Amino acid sequence: MLQKPRSRGRPNSQAERERDWGHGAAEEAPSTSRGAGSSQEARSSSSQGSRRAEASPEVGPRSQQQLELKVAELVQFLLIKDQKKIPIKRTDILKHVIGDYKDIFPDLLKLAAERLEYVFGYKLVELEPKSNTYILINTLEPVEEDAEVRGDQGTPTTGLLMIVLGLIFMKGNTIKETEVWDFLRRLGVYPTKKHLVFGDPKKLITEEFVRQRYLEYRRIPHTDPVDYELQWGPRANLETSKMKVLKFVAKVHNQDPKDWPAQYCEALADEEARARPETSGPAPSS
Amino acid sequence: MEEGRAERRRRTEAPSHTQGGPRRAGVMTDVHRRFLQLLMTHGVLEEWDVRRLQKHCYRVHDRTAAVEELEDFINNINSVLESLYIEIKKGATEDDGRPVYALVNLATTSVSKMASDFAENELDLFRKALELIIDSETGFASSTNILNLVDQLKGKKMRKKEAEQVLQKFVQNKWLIEKEGEFTLHSRAILEMEQYIRETYPDAVKICNICHSLLIQGQSCETCGIRMHLPCVAKYFQSNSEPRCPHCNDYWPHEIPVFDPEKEREAGTSRATKRSLRSRQH
Repeated sequence: MLQKPRSRGRPNSQAERERDWGHGAAEEAPSTSRGAGSSQEARSSSSQGSRRAEASPEVGPRSQQQLELKVAELVQFLLIKDQKKIPIKRTDILKHVIGDYKDIFPDLLKLAAERLEYVFGYKLVELEPKSNTYILINTLEPVEEDAEVRGDQGTPTTGLLMIVLGLIFMKGNTIKETEVWDFLRRLGVYPTKKHLVFGDPKKLITEEFVRQRYLEYRRIPHTDPVDYELQWGPRANLETSKMKVLKFVAKVHNQDPKDWPAQYCEALADEEARARPETSGPAPSS
Repeated sequence: MEEGRAERRRRTEAPSHTQGGPRRAGVMTDVHRRFLQLLMTHGVLEEWDVRRLQKHCYRVHDRTAAVEELEDFINNINSVLESLYIEIKKGATEDDGRPVYALVNLATTSVSKMASDFAENELDLFRKALELIIDSETGFASSTNILNLVDQLKGKKMRKKEAEQVLQKFVQNKWLIEKEGEFTLHSRAILEMEQYIRETYPDAVKICNICHSLLIQGQSCETCGIRMHLPCVAKYFQSNSEPRCPHCNDYWPHEIPVFDPEKEREAGTSRATKRSLRSRQH
């Protein structure tokens, strides 16, 4: 919702005014619960029976409805942030949603994670252990026909990212940037030329995918001219797997994954490692 | 394979939230989850597209099951979404009554899709455009009038050229519709922001006399001033040779549009036939 302008409508509570977390939040104190003065108890609006409630700014006994609303806000925050494919920082969650409910943050996060999985089929996971950043993993397998009914690009199951991930894996889990372009040139993709589908391929690969944590991009020291190496990022390991990528590569070549015995072995070992029970859950490491 | 009690409960039952309401939350399956996931990728979706999406989800997860009636399917999901303060809301396009759906936020918090996609000054530009639209007689605000307010925006200074592009961004993201240099609200914005608009502009807001929902574009009675959406007019005066105002009984002075919104669209071609095109009917 947009922040309500003060000149119109009914007078706003302090809490509402300070709530804009979208942008420019530097000037204004964020979070629904940090209002001073008048505390607005959760109330329901009468307009068309629609529900509306605000979280009380006071610490102390919180009603079931207030807690429920907090979890709802957290779920929405996580969904919206994840749609941008940027890992969600714990500090952002605390700042923009949790506010005064900091004392029960682990419980709120756990409840939100449960709802996300039950209702939407998304699993909240930490990007790397103790990193205090989170992403959502889809528990549903993407299907080719999804592309026909969705309104956005979705997680790239085919396309440039998969090709790059494939290249990296087949070359032994690390590859020089120059090698990537040598390969992509053959597909008509150049670092310096605008591409009809990918736009700016250089920016996409070395900035966008890196920011989204699909790839890691590191300078190789003592190289002249400067060269960089590309590896899988933590999100790639969470969203896909060596076996899936190998199968993709095999399909592209119209061959069988077993035709690459070294990579196939590695992918198998990776599958086995994944099948072992997980030790880390979505609960924050405090 | 033995699943722990917690696992089983998580998968098959809705976690209980003690609410006052007697309504028992429905059960989510992967069909519903995929549906929700994909629905969320659209800001707003037309009914025929929603049906297509529903069928797709059944095909992926449960080929043998009968596809549930859309209304029941959505009500089922909404009963689960209730505790999250969101719902799949059904509305209609104001110009020709096509049924549309959007996933909307019911709690007026600042956590919103729009707030996350736009900068502070862009949001303020939208707010200004929104106010002009609501205050207008026709439900449209001219590009010129909106751009003239560029100096009053909060946040980073925005030039008119930039503002023009931001307005186009709003159109692309389905928050506004542009017609001949004028802007009105997209059905997405109406669905998502109806509550916010009614609460923020209680004096300026217009309501349809027939369906009692928010009205941006429509026809009005010249005698008593009540307003109706074009599709509501079409339905109310359907095959009525002497249309009269439901409130004051005076002769209804406007052309009665004719729509066919209930039939499904075929291959994207609209069946709506309108006698009056684009004329402002106030």
